[in-house]
Amino acid sequence: MELTHHFEVPASKETTWQTFNDLEQVVPCFPGATLTEVDGDEFTGQVKVKIGPISLTYQGTGRFVERDEAAGKIVLEASGKDRRGNGNAGATVTAVLTETADGTAVDVNTDLDIGGKPAQFGRGMIQSISNKMLQRFLDCIRSKMTDEQPTGTP
Amino acid sequence: MTIMEERQAEIGRPRPRKEDARLITGRSRYTDNITLPGMLHLAMVRSPLARARITGIDTSAAASAPGVVQVLTGADLAAEQGSMPNAWPITPEQKTPPHPAVAVDTVNFAGEIVAVVIARSAAAARDASELIDVDYEDLPVVTDLATAARDEEVIHPDLGTNRSATWVFDSAQAGTGGDVEEALANSEVVIERTFTQQRLIPAFMEPRSTVVDPTGEQITMWSATQIPHVLRVMLALTLGVPESKLRVIAPDVGGGFGGKLQVTPEEVITLLAARRVGKPCKYTETRSETMMGAHHGRDQLQTLRLGANRDGTVTGLDVRLLADMGAYLGLITSGIPILGAFMYNGIYKFSAYRFECTNVFTNKVWTDAYRGAGRPEATFAIERMMDELATELGMDPIEVRRKNWIAHEEFPFTTVASLEYDSGNYEAATDKALELFDYEGLRAEQRRRRESGDPVQLGIGVSTFTEMCGLAPSRVLGALDYGAGGWEYAQVRVLPTGNVEVVTGVSPHGQGHVTAWSQIVADRLGVPFENVEVLYGDTQVAQRGMDTYGSRSLAVGGMAVVAATDKVVEKAKQVAAHMLEAATEDIEFSGGQFSVRGTDQGVSFNDVALATFAAHDLPDGFEPSLDSDATFDPENFSFPHGTHLAAMEVDTETGQVRVHKYVCVDDVGHVINPLIVDGQVHGGLAQGIAQALFEEAIYDESGTLLTGSFTEYLVPSAPDLPEFTVDRTYTPATTNVLGVKGVGEAGTIASTPAIVNGILDAIRHLGVEDVPMPCSPSRVWNAIQQARTSGQQAPEPEVAP
Repeated sequence: MELTHHFEVPASKETTWQTFNDLEQVVPCFPGATLTEVDGDEFTGQVKVKIGPISLTYQGTGRFVERDEAAGKIVLEASGKDRRGNGNAGATVTAVLTETADGTAVDVNTDLDIGGKPAQFGRGMIQSISNKMLQRFLDCIRSKMTDEQPTGTP
Repeated sequence: MTIMEERQAEIGRPRPRKEDARLITGRSRYTDNITLPGMLHLAMVRSPLARARITGIDTSAAASAPGVVQVLTGADLAAEQGSMPNAWPITPEQKTPPHPAVAVDTVNFAGEIVAVVIARSAAAARDASELIDVDYEDLPVVTDLATAARDEEVIHPDLGTNRSATWVFDSAQAGTGGDVEEALANSEVVIERTFTQQRLIPAFMEPRSTVVDPTGEQITMWSATQIPHVLRVMLALTLGVPESKLRVIAPDVGGGFGGKLQVTPEEVITLLAARRVGKPCKYTETRSETMMGAHHGRDQLQTLRLGANRDGTVTGLDVRLLADMGAYLGLITSGIPILGAFMYNGIYKFSAYRFECTNVFTNKVWTDAYRGAGRPEATFAIERMMDELATELGMDPIEVRRKNWIAHEEFPFTTVASLEYDSGNYEAATDKALELFDYEGLRAEQRRRRESGDPVQLGIGVSTFTEMCGLAPSRVLGALDYGAGGWEYAQVRVLPTGNVEVVTGVSPHGQGHVTAWSQIVADRLGVPFENVEVLYGDTQVAQRGMDTYGSRSLAVGGMAVVAATDKVVEKAKQVAAHMLEAATEDIEFSGGQFSVRGTDQGVSFNDVALATFAAHDLPDGFEPSLDSDATFDPENFSFPHGTHLAAMEVDTETGQVRVHKYVCVDDVGHVINPLIVDGQVHGGLAQGIAQALFEEAIYDESGTLLTGSFTEYLVPSAPDLPEFTVDRTYTPATTNVLGVKGVGEAGTIASTPAIVNGILDAIRHLGVEDVPMPCSPSRVWNAIQQARTSGQQAPEPEVAP
């Protein structure tokens, strides 16, 4: 499943770049995510999600696959499996930063792969839930770059 | 002796079902209702992945969880679990992968069991099952049938191919017809079409459940199964438990539709678990486990070529199938498409026929019997093709069928597929259906809407069908390499008071056997309907049987009851003759009275029963019992047939489809109980219409079942279905004395093509040539749009909406 988002921040491309590269700032922005360890470009952590009646705790690892400052492109890959055997999930997040007159435009493309129980039961819900979660993730990141409070309700 | 009132014949009476009062007031006992002292509960850990290598299972957290008694993995059971049985190797070369009840090294479909928790409560077992940590190494997944057949990725590497077997019937070789290629080459018209029989989920009402008590001299298993007898012998063969040490009971069973015609991993596991812990164990699945872990039905790709002359005479039919087995071969998985092989010629006189089916493995749960089993697929294909032919030739679809069907005076008729149809009257059933339907009136209405450009167009779908029922003559099953016979068993026991116990080897799960058997026996013995008790479903009670499927219960099981009852009468005549001091040959039996021919002397059945019980004064050498049993092996299949007509409204602006009128006239031979027959037809129609319009099991490309609940898998309810006009003609079967043919599958088989033919007839003038099933509004709308914009056939959307 592919999800795309676009937002703009009133910050320079350089500031935006730095924020995006700071795992300690980026990862906790994802709703339900906690970072347990960061080792260079790699990290481990977990994400708690509730899709309808199904509670999931994905534990896994992630890493930067690509960091091209000149092109303003970051590719982050993460995958994990549910602690209760309900299935696996993986995501490849590609963010492209472009300088604009007022700051920086960020285009985010997320390739989400969810298998097992949530895919089986949440077929109708996954797209909208994922979209919402990513929106909150990006709102959080944006707030970090603009020192605003995130607009989405937690 | 009093003169008895003329008693009303029970056969043919619309008796409400004896069993219903109990079933609908909660006095039922399904397997999950069974609670035994000290009973433990199982929960299954199922693979979320469709294909993976198991690299590690950590059961420690689960094993120490509250209430947990033991945790079992495939490795723990590897030495004793054997391989799940496949009873129908369709060719000597058939490739059959090992099928462990609990996966040992690899999993091959999402839902396959990888570990089992035994705990003191069902909740504790389920909670602990979530603590089991399984490490999987992903393997490439193949879900698409055609892709799998190309062997680019082989699911079971040891087999070297995804192709399990190829089975061929050729009328030229069988001597029942000509060579198809030659026939097609000489035909004035050749029509080639490809149809997809989508995967369906049997969706029985009661989820599967098993209880095993290992504490007695026999291990006792209660299971929600259609086949207690087959299950017992298969468990013995699979697990090496002496058959005499096994007792299998099918208590009240809430529907099956073929979905419980299986020997399941869950049954094997419950038995092994109970044996290990030495205590009774129960496993009841959740609905989502039913959806992903119980076998599915259909799933075939059909490629057909039909040759004909311009006058409408069909010259030959060539059928090529790819049949999706899923990941493993279940009990009769491999044989399901072969059951269809004999039915592609339908009710017609074709002069050449060839059938070739290749069975293919994919990473999905295995397929197996589902209402109709092979025959709905065949009927759909030929009835769609007959409509295609009518369109091609500009003929009325009824006329094309008349041109080709077997006329009533031609029976018995040996078909190009080598079956001998004993009886039938397709003309009578069709004429009656056309009249009830007001065929001409609806054709006029169709023309009116077409000419006025009505956005809601009307189409008429025709389906004339027959099916082979009464499975099955044992010698035929032998010739098809099936692992067992097709006989059936019954016992009739006469109690001292004249009440009668009937033991039947078929195992009812909603069909109404208790009522129908009571009617048959009441008439034959002249005893009241209420005085007949029917016993079944327990291998200690009904010691022999081949169980219930394939519309066999009445035509085979009912005939065993008749045979046993007739033996009772023969014995009773000897006692009556002795009591009346007459010769046995002079004794007549009618309406429950034995009388001496030509006199007014007589004794009642009850008098004879009591005299036999007392045994004070019986004929010399007479064994003091009237009880009799019989095993009936049918000499032939039975061939119910019928004509189904569907008027379909299609909203060309939204794609919405509605059944405007549905008429079916079935000929199932003599009818024991018209209420039960109507009920079977209604339920069958619902399931057949559901295939045409609603149901489809969809897997995504990673092998996740997307239709894993009833919110996604669309089973119709009453508001989704039209009012049915159900009627009958009566052409008795000539191969059994009851003249019955079987009705369990008729509605399902006939209705699917009627609906789809009707939809196409409504929108064909817009350029639409096909709509894949299920014909959802979006598919119909897309087909119309594509045809309108490009004037070409619409491609199939990737998944149903």
